[in-house]
Amino acid sequence: MLRYILRRLLLLPLVILGVTFLLFFLTQRLSPEMRASLYVKDPRQMGSLEEVIRKYGLRDNVFKQYGRWLSNVARGDLGYSPSANMPVARAIKEYLPATIQLAFVTILLVVFFGVWFGSSSAVHKDKWQDIAARMFSVGGFSLPIFVLGLLLLMIFYGKLGWFAPGGYSFQTDMVIHGGAFKTYTGFLLVDALLNGNMRVFGDVLSHLVLPAVTLCIGSFALMVRVMRSSMLEELNKDYVRTARAKGLPETAVVYKHAGKNAIIPVITLASIQFIRLLGGTVIVETIFDYPGIGRFGVLAAQQLDIAGILGFSLMVAVLFVIGNLLSDILYTAVDPRIRLD
Amino acid sequence: MAFWRTGRIGNWYNNTMAAPVLTVRELRVDFTVDKRTVPVLRGLSYTLEKGRILAVVGESGSGKTVHALSLLRLLPPCADIAGGEIVFNGQDLLSLSPSALRDVRGNKISMIFQDPSSSLNPVLTIGEQLEETLRAHRKISREEARRQAAHLLTSVGIADAEKRLGEYPFQFSGGMCQRVMIAMALALSPDVLIADEPTTALDVTIQAQILGLMKALQQAAGTAVIFITHNLALAAQIADDVLVLYAGLCMEKAPAKELFSNPLHPYTQGLLNSLASLSQTCEELPAIAGNPPVPGENLPGCPFAPRCNKAFDKCRACLPPLFEKNGRQVRCWLEEPK
Repeated sequence: MLRYILRRLLLLPLVILGVTFLLFFLTQRLSPEMRASLYVKDPRQMGSLEEVIRKYGLRDNVFKQYGRWLSNVARGDLGYSPSANMPVARAIKEYLPATIQLAFVTILLVVFFGVWFGSSSAVHKDKWQDIAARMFSVGGFSLPIFVLGLLLLMIFYGKLGWFAPGGYSFQTDMVIHGGAFKTYTGFLLVDALLNGNMRVFGDVLSHLVLPAVTLCIGSFALMVRVMRSSMLEELNKDYVRTARAKGLPETAVVYKHAGKNAIIPVITLASIQFIRLLGGTVIVETIFDYPGIGRFGVLAAQQLDIAGILGFSLMVAVLFVIGNLLSDILYTAVDPRIRLD
Repeated sequence: MAFWRTGRIGNWYNNTMAAPVLTVRELRVDFTVDKRTVPVLRGLSYTLEKGRILAVVGESGSGKTVHALSLLRLLPPCADIAGGEIVFNGQDLLSLSPSALRDVRGNKISMIFQDPSSSLNPVLTIGEQLEETLRAHRKISREEARRQAAHLLTSVGIADAEKRLGEYPFQFSGGMCQRVMIAMALALSPDVLIADEPTTALDVTIQAQILGLMKALQQAAGTAVIFITHNLALAAQIADDVLVLYAGLCMEKAPAKELFSNPLHPYTQGLLNSLASLSQTCEELPAIAGNPPVPGENLPGCPFAPRCNKAFDKCRACLPPLFEKNGRQVRCWLEEPK
């Protein structure tokens, strides 16, 4: 197991090299002037454009530039992001936890309701529970995220005023940056609990509701279908008949015996979805003005903030590798037949 | 093997031939296929006495497995018990409530299936699967269940039981899995054990071991067994009585010895003739010509008539009843009392 993890982690540098070099190579399609322009704020300083180009060696050979960037990265310096007005490393540290938090809450909702609806759909095949779950999942599947997000925003913020966009309220902002609030993990939900500040916790959670629900719907539809078909398949297997023949109650037959087998594909799906969410909450973060890493990535891309783009993709690559590794490890926990070595 | 003897079956020797544990009367099972009703069991009746082994023999599609599943009402949703009675120790299993039925399943009547490796849950440990059977029917602690489970594994000849309880079915061979199934089925000293082709998926040497084990445990506990097989030789080895099933009908029922020495029904004769033997050499195995009727194919007469070389007009026109003869039963017009 440990050897497997180490071996997989050894692959990490390769993946990172591949992804970042590809991107770096693409950025070279832009002229050095275009790449330097972002660092020159004032049109009157146009003369210093050449200065920037020379200072950062933007006319050098691709490999030389890439090597320079890489050696900076190795020292923990991801460059300065003009679009976020701070170093890239700090921007990631600031924005990533909010996205992980959002992705985590989303995936919890997806798995919980997906497994619940999916298995009840399978157990009550062709009854109203099944038809309702199937209709709901088709509906969720066909509803684009940006439509649903705007709709929710209109209803629950515009009309009802229950949930606001953004990451937290103004009052919470004051508390967080007020000095008395200690940052332990960077995850506001966790930190609020550790500080014992339930008001901040509630506020952050209520700001998570709309983006999480919006993100949820598409994955949820998929999850219900996977869980349903996997459960139907397991319920037809011989060991389910054995469990019934042993005189176990029907709930134990369905949830303990069939459920434990049926959940295996759900775990694959959930981990893929979770990793996807980490780099792909861009639209939702933009709609809800949620201060996450996706919004940072979009801004960087829009403003040709090359340091920001490279830093963002580096982060996504690392998360992908680690996320996949975690899902492999999770597998061994549910399926004893899988051994990592 | 004293632990098999709970109070309930303590002195079974004294009343071996007492009231039957299980009586099946006119059991009918229909399948619904494409909105069409197909009779699979067409009125099966028999009684099973304490401590006896009844072999139910038949070809694929004869309804033997359906009959086994219907005893514990484990039939798939497309199958329906259309009529008849299954009386177990005085209670009709077909009218039991789900919770009363659960109390019978695995506890008083238990079952072993054909494919041992797929009959065990792949993601639960052997120990867990044994313990949950015990705990579903007895109020015992986890530790006690664990202890009994280890004991059960040892009793079916699995060494190093403590360690193996923590292992998963994929770490066991097919024969080992079947031993586990037997341990599970006999864990609560049931009155009846239904064994549905328990050795079909195993190779021949393992078959013999499993049969020997079943018979030993069955005799120690006085359990009555319904042994379902398509293998006549196997039935001869293990059974006290044999019931020959064909197209959902009982063709012949007799004590095993008599059935094999003097088969009355042409179908049984055909089956016995087609057994391969090492002592005789022959060019071709004398198999029964033709195929059994497809379920739902409504023959007015005897279902075996189209393949029977002794058939006459009456056979094709109307279905013979079961005739009683010297304590045996046979469904053939040739045996009609004069």
